[in-house]
This record gives sequence, C-alpha cells and structure tokens, in this order.
Amino acid sequence: MPATAAVAPPPTAPEQLAARLSSGDSDESLLPTLREIKNQIIGNRTKKLLYLRLRAVPKIVALLSSSSSPSPVIVQAAAAVGSFACGVEDGVRAVLDAGAVPHLTVLLSHPDAKVVDSAARSLRIIFQSKLAPKYDFLLEENKTFLLSLLNSTNENITELAASIVAHSCEKPTEQTSLCDAGVVQKLVSLLGGSSNQRDTSLDAISAIVKNNPEVATKFVSISNGKAFNSLMGLMQDRYPRTRLLACVCLISIEQAFPVYFQEMQIKTKLILILLDLIEEAGRVGDEAPFVLKGLIGESEELHRQALSVTAAERLCGYLRKGKAVLEARRLEGILLVLAELGLKLEQSRAQLIELQVPSLIIDLLKHDCAQVRVAACHVIKNISRSLKHLCAGRFGSESIVMPLVQLLCDSSTSVQTAALDAICNVAVNLTTKKSVLLQSGGVSILCQLARSMHSEVRLKSVRALRNLMFLLDRKDKDLILTELTVSTLTILISDPDPLVQEQALALAGNFVDGSGVSTKFIFSEDISIIDAVSRQLKGECSPGMCIQGMFFLANMAAENESQKDAVMDCILPTSLDLSISHPNSFLVTFLQSKERLLRLSTLWCLINLVNPDQRNSFRVSALQGAGIISQLKTMVNDPCLDCKLRVRMVLERCLENRE
Amino acid sequence: MPVRVVETTSPSHSSGQDLSSAQPSPPSCSLLCAGRSFCGTQNVSSLQKDEAWKVNVRIQGCDIEHGFLCGTMEALNVPLADTPVVTFWEGEIVDAKNHTFFTGKWEATPEDDIRHWSKFPSFTPLLSQIEDDGGKSLDLSNYPYIFMRWKEQYFVNVGADCGLTIAGFYYVCFSCTDGSISGFYYDPNSSPFQKLELKCMNAKPGGFSFSSYELV
Repeated sequence: MPATAAVAPPPTAPEQLAARLSSGDSDESLLPTLREIKNQIIGNRTKKLLYLRLRAVPKIVALLSSSSSPSPVIVQAAAAVGSFACGVEDGVRAVLDAGAVPHLTVLLSHPDAKVVDSAARSLRIIFQSKLAPKYDFLLEENKTFLLSLLNSTNENITELAASIVAHSCEKPTEQTSLCDAGVVQKLVSLLGGSSNQRDTSLDAISAIVKNNPEVATKFVSISNGKAFNSLMGLMQDRYPRTRLLACVCLISIEQAFPVYFQEMQIKTKLILILLDLIEEAGRVGDEAPFVLKGLIGESEELHRQALSVTAAERLCGYLRKGKAVLEARRLEGILLVLAELGLKLEQSRAQLIELQVPSLIIDLLKHDCAQVRVAACHVIKNISRSLKHLCAGRFGSESIVMPLVQLLCDSSTSVQTAALDAICNVAVNLTTKKSVLLQSGGVSILCQLARSMHSEVRLKSVRALRNLMFLLDRKDKDLILTELTVSTLTILISDPDPLVQEQALALAGNFVDGSGVSTKFIFSEDISIIDAVSRQLKGECSPGMCIQGMFFLANMAAENESQKDAVMDCILPTSLDLSISHPNSFLVTFLQSKERLLRLSTLWCLINLVNPDQRNSFRVSALQGAGIISQLKTMVNDPCLDCKLRVRMVLERCLENRE
Repeated sequence: MPVRVVETTSPSHSSGQDLSSAQPSPPSCSLLCAGRSFCGTQNVSSLQKDEAWKVNVRIQGCDIEHGFLCGTMEALNVPLADTPVVTFWEGEIVDAKNHTFFTGKWEATPEDDIRHWSKFPSFTPLLSQIEDDGGKSLDLSNYPYIFMRWKEQYFVNVGADCGLTIAGFYYVCFSCTDGSISGFYYDPNSSPFQKLELKCMNAKPGGFSFSSYELV
C-alpha cells in the first residue's frame, strides 16, 4: 500500500547555523552544521554572500587550525572554505582575510589523505582567483615546497602546484628560476595525466614561457622535442578546453621564440582550431576568439593566412547565425578579431566590406553590453581606413553615421572614445556628396566634446573635426567654426596636451585652406587664431605642432596681401626679441631642424610670402633682415630633395624680385 | 639569443602629411599629397580625329611607405556624356621596394613598360638600370621625378555602361620641381600613347596651400 514519502526536513536558517559555529566547539558535533552550510552555499551566490555577512568564514577558517578539530570536521571546513572562494570575489577576500591560505597549506602535510585532498582542492580554487596572493618562487624554501608538491602522487596536490605556478609566475626571474629548478619538466610529465592535470599543467607552462625566449628555447629542447610534440598532439584532444589551453601554450611559445615557428603550417593549424573552438559552448567558445586575436596580432602575414583559410567568412557566419543569442563576451571577441583583420591590410578590408560586415554589425552598436559596442566601433574604425571605399562613400551613409553619432552621448566613456575614433575616419569625406555628419547634429556634439575635461576625448573630437574640415566648402567650414567658436579653437591651440594642440593647429590649417577665408574668423579685437598660433610657434613646442603651425601660416600666406602681412608680423622678430639679442626669426631655427617636414612647411610659407605680389620687395628685405635669406643660402644642397627644390624656389623668387 | 621585439608604434595610417623621417626614404614630394589638385588635358586623338578632353585630378590619399596613392579623375567635355565623368583610380609609386618599373599585370609586358617609360625624357638616364629587373636596386629617393602607374577602378558618377572604358592604365611621370604631370594611357584595345598633361593647381590666389587628414 502506498506510504507517505519521507519529507526532507526544512533547511536550517543560516542565522542558526552561523550561531552554532560560534559555540566554541570544534568536535564532530559541528559536522552536520558544516555539511549543511556547505550544501547551502554550493552554486548559490546569494547564500554565500549571506553567510559572509553573518561572518561565518572566520569561524570556519579557525576550525582548520584548531588542534582539537577531528579530521572529518577539517575536511568539511576546508570544502566550505573552497566553496566560499569559488566564483565570488567577496568570498575570496573573506577567505584570504581570515588567513585561510597558510592553514590550508599546512594541511597539505596532514596524515589523513582526505584532509590533504580537501585542502588541496580548496587551495586550487583560491589560486584560480586573481585576488589570491602571489607565491614568491625566488625564495628557496618556496621553490622546494613547490617541487615537493609536483612530486606528489596525489593528483589534487599536483594540480594545486600547477595552479600556483599558473597564477603566480610572472617575472622573467621567476620563470628562469622555475625552469632551472626543473619545474617545466615536471609539468610536462603531467601532460600525460588526467584531464585536469593536463589543463592546469598547460596553464602553468604558458605562464613560465610567456615572453621569455630563453625558457621557450629550453622547452622546445626537452626530450629532443617530445614535449613540444605532446603540445601539438593536445591541440587535437577530445576535450575543447584542453585544445584551447594547448593553443594558448603554443602561442606563448611562438611569441617568445618565433624562429621555431617559421613554418606557416603550425600557425595555420592554430587559426583553424581556434575558429572551430568559437563554436563550442561555454567559456571555451567565449575565450577562443580572444586567443585567436592574440595569435594573429598585428602580423600582416598571419592576417593574410587567416584570410586564406576563410576566417573572415566563418566569423561573419557566426554573427549571421547567432548574434542575437551569442553571449556578449563571445560577440566582443568575434568583433575584435574582425577589427584586427581590418587593421593593416587593404585586401582584408576589401573582403570584410564584400562580406557586408558594416551592415552586419550596425545593430551591435546598440548592444546592451558596452564592450560589444566598443568592439563594433573598432570594426568600423579599422575597415574605414580603406581609402578606396571612403572615396566610394561606403561609410558615409546615415545607417552607419547616425548610430555612431548617438554613441557620442553614451554613458560609457570607453564607448564614447571608440565612437570618436570611428567617426574620425568616416568624417573624411572624399565624395562629392555632403557629409551626413554635417546634417546629423554630429558637429554640435563634436564641438561640445572638444571642450571635454578629458584630454583623450578632446583629442579625438578635434581630430574628427579636422578630418571633417578636409577640403570642405567654405560655407560649411564657416559653419563648423561658428559652432566651435574662435575662442574655443584658440584655447585648444594652447591646450595642456601637446597632441590636442597639434590637432587644433591642423584643424586651423584646414580651415584656412581654400579661398575666401573670412577675416572675421582669423582676426578679431580680442581673440585671434593667428596670435594663438604665433605664441605656440615662439614657445617650446614639439616638431609635430610646429609643422602644423607652419602649414597654417603657409595657407594664410597664400590668401591675399593683408594675410601675408599678418604672417610677416608673426614671423619677424619683435622689438622685444631685438632688445634681447635675438635678431633672427624663429623660422631660422625651424629651417635648421632635423625634421624634414618642419623645414618643408617653413619653406612653403616662405614661398607663399615671396609669391610675386605688390609688396614682395618689402617682404624680401624684411626676411633678409631676419636672417632667413642667409639661412636659405646654406640650404641649397639640403639632403632632402623636396627641401632643396623649395629652397631654390624661394631664392629664385627673391632674385626675380631684385631684378 | 633571439629576442622578440614588441612593437609599440601605432598602426600605419594614411594621411595628408607624412610625419615620419624613416631611412631609407621612398620617393616623395610635398606637391604629391592628399588634397592636391591638377588640371590639364588628355589627348584622345585617333586616326579619325583630333580630340582632347579637359581633365581635373585630385589626390585623395597617399601612403608613401606602401607605394600607394589614390584619387579621382574628372573628364570634362566628353562627347558621350552629358556631365563630366568622374572615376576613382589607384596608383602605384615606383619605389623599387613596393613596385618596380615592370608592371607585371594589366596585359603590359616588360617591353610595353620600357616603350612607355621611354616616352618620358626623365626616364632615359635610368633605362640601363632597369632593363634586367625593372630597377629593383634603384634608389629613387633623390630623383626629381616620381614615376607611377594609375589604374582607374570604377566610375563614380556614371554607370559602367556609359560607353567609356577604364580597362587600361596610365604610365605617369610627376615632376617634383613644379608638380607637373605627364602620362600615357595604355590599353591594348585603345589608341596608343594617349597623352595626359597636367599642371598643379593652387586653390588660393597667392600661393600653395595644404589640407590634411589623419586616419586612426
């Protein structure tokens, strides 16, 4: 006859359980309490945080070191500690603050194997967190202890040892010290062990060889290359995580010791395996694209190779199939690989454009996750470096520009700056159509951002405005400067950040390029762009700034008589200069510069000043008096052909004028 | 011991101004830069008639390090078109590193190359050094002429069925002294040696001015 099923007793309230921990007992009467706490917190973040607030962790940690704690209690306590540290940063902090690590370490030598296992597992979990303390391998006793762990027959202990290495080994001195102590060989022997041993060993080997050519060289020599071959074999392991970690390890060796990887075959294999791994579920699929990005890096050769094995098509395929459902981390990774592919090679960009990547990723500019939005901006930024497609107006449509403009007001600064970078490129309008940016409200936002407190934001927005100003018609140039204001531009020309100054000067230069420059923008009673430029050129400024400043003056000097006179006033020594024995113009210094472009930009300014005009003879005499003509005569054999030709142009014009 | 060199420079970008002073220098000239305009004529005469089109060229981008430049070409008074016809072209700069005098494509043989380059007086002193390998070991950094090939890629403002062809390419010689350009169009299916002659234009009445952009 059916009987009523036994009903499990309701769980005891955490407050009660935590209170029992405070009883001061450390005997087996605590076992049920510890078991129940452990069972409640496993996989339950909320319960973990609750017990943290109830200050359960210090009490549990205290049990680890109590001499009166029986083994079963220690086992449960250690397991609970490990669980608190699993996946919850606050839990890791609490465990560390309570001093769990030294107690657990002592327990590794406990006579009871179950205690040892439990302690080892918990320590391994702790060392998976970036908050865990770094183990100092340079201390001899620590190294000896580590080796003893690696020599253990207990699988949990060897895994722990490998985790400690993976977590803590960073400096070249540590890497070399561990390598010399034979740790690498021990880790290699673990590659033939269980799945967990293989994985933690792969992690540890990656940490030891990373960026260390000497250690990488030794690794590939182990057992006449057998260790390396084992790694190659693990790329085909049945477990996806092992395949991923094997790829990471091989990439670390390749980057430390590239000569060993000269054959493209291995790298091609890595690319293909990583492309496959992107389809795997869970963390493996999420991390695989980042590993692929790390592999191809900025290597044009690897970009070409990736394209040849249809990497771009496959990545686009992943996006087409599932961008609505893919985890944000994986989406971000895929986008970053696409962005990387578009960075250097025009053939890559052409292929990505052919695959309709811009249309494919437009909606990702509105993704909930900020990192995805940033990555989508990077894709657009990199593929819009294609001059051919900029000329075809491929990036100037509303569908691309408008979402980017909206991102300029994003709540995340990293998204704003990524959007600014993308806009900087798409702002270059090489078509005959009016730029969408001029009609979208984008100019107002860029001008506002040019007044930002953050220098990076100012820099990028001024650069975008500069690019927008390139060859723009006069009316639109005037509109932009009206929006930005002369006052703001002069402030930017004197910005504390030299890079901002340089872009502001280039923006000013673009503004005055082309005919019909209205003097109201250049000269005014209170604020004058030319005065701001002049102050910068006469002060301490970088070659880049001087170059842009001189191009600005060259453009001014190409306009009309009054602007040529203004440039002359700027470059000739003032009475103050003369009174302190500086008879020469600062242009003489510029003409003596080692920077070819600075000499060139200065020469073009002079060519425009001595352009056959009404007041030419006056200007030539003034330049003579300022030491400029004498300096030019020393430059007739300038090592730069372009400079030499311009020097001759100036001197010929001066001579014509004299005749 | 091999040491991995970690690159810290930012990616190369195309700009209207080259801010580097790397050695050895590729051929470059400040009159051959993004934004610069040229105007002149292309002689399109055939046996049947003499004809010349007015042509305006603008450089849109210049990547000296990779021997690449691009721009637009606008042909006016084209009989078959109601409006000026604009094309986008890509150029190769002969710098011995990225490109030599030998084209190696577009149905141009080395003989065709030499025949066309030899039409430029400025090429004559170089002939003996290019006959074997197209001039792979030539240093053109101090030569007052820059040699290029310009290949039109697509029509910007008319359809491909407009009755005009962009199947060929131009052999181009640019004078660093005054920015003047001459060129010869090569297309096995068109009249040979159609000459392009351009002068550098100033947007401003009082001299040369410069505009620039910087891609990131």
